Amino acid sequence: MDILGYKCKKCGQLHYPYRMVCKKCGENEHNEFDAVPLPRKGKLVTFTFLHNPPADFMVVKLPLGIVELDNGIRITGQLKIPNPKLGMAVQGEVEVVRESGDGKNYGMVFYPA
Amino acid sequence: MILASKEVADKIKRPKIRLAGVGQATDTHCVQERENPTDLLAVRRAAEQSMKMAGIKPSDVNVAELHDAFTILEIVESEEVGFFKKGEGHKALERGDTKLTGKIPVNTSGGLKGKGHPVGATGIGQAHEIVTQLRGEAKKRQVKDAKIGFTCNFGGFGNNVVCLTFVRED
Repeated sequence: MDILGYKCKKCGQLHYPYRMVCKKCGENEHNEFDAVPLPRKGKLVTFTFLHNPPADFMVVKLPLGIVELDNGIRITGQLKIPNPKLGMAVQGEVEVVRESGDGKNYGMVFYPA
Repeated sequence: MILASKEVADKIKRPKIRLAGVGQATDTHCVQERENPTDLLAVRRAAEQSMKMAGIKPSDVNVAELHDAFTILEIVESEEVGFFKKGEGHKALERGDTKLTGKIPVNTSGGLKGKGHPVGATGIGQAHEIVTQLRGEAKKRQVKDAKIGFTCNFGGFGNNVVCLTFVRED
């Protein structure tokens, strides 16, 4: 299973998450993107601990981070890193990040590389 | 809150407060895409526009309401609107620069965390507090001799920001 990025068919600009119009060329008016798997490796740009997550997260402290993947795309994900440090190398895995009434949500979870 | 032309306002025997500057700017909702995740660029731009229109600089402001829907935001905004240098807002707060008797009192109303955040009505609530201060009617929380006031209101995480500058007409 992969998390997908969306590449503009007209200019090649990659986006994550999905958007309706290309942020670079703006020419893309018909959702003309190629879905491409995002890389898993990257570096940690910033992180925080969420102390007040929604009710279905049965944790008191949810570590979250923004990671810059090897292709330059940034993604927000949960961290399973004991002592996160800015700039550290991380490895993403696609996992269930939330189970609610709507079913399972998948996302990137990051571990120390 | 009543807005009126100068001609109408001149007939009313209350201190007149002029809406002297308006600024508005947007930023991506996708916080991860912001080059520096600690920047609130829309706040910076909206504040610049508003103060430029009013012909003032940040150090001219006597009282301000900043959008502290979350505690950190008051500190970051106090930097982005130009009251303090980047990364020094928390030091200014600790020094007491933003308290009622400080250099630039911030959120005399209690702010959103203290007074409440009714979302759609939050901006007008901020404007009301500044008008009350500039009229000298804020009683125990009155900022002495306040003449120029400023508000920063925003939606999302700084995605859509409106800043207002108010000046008391003597």
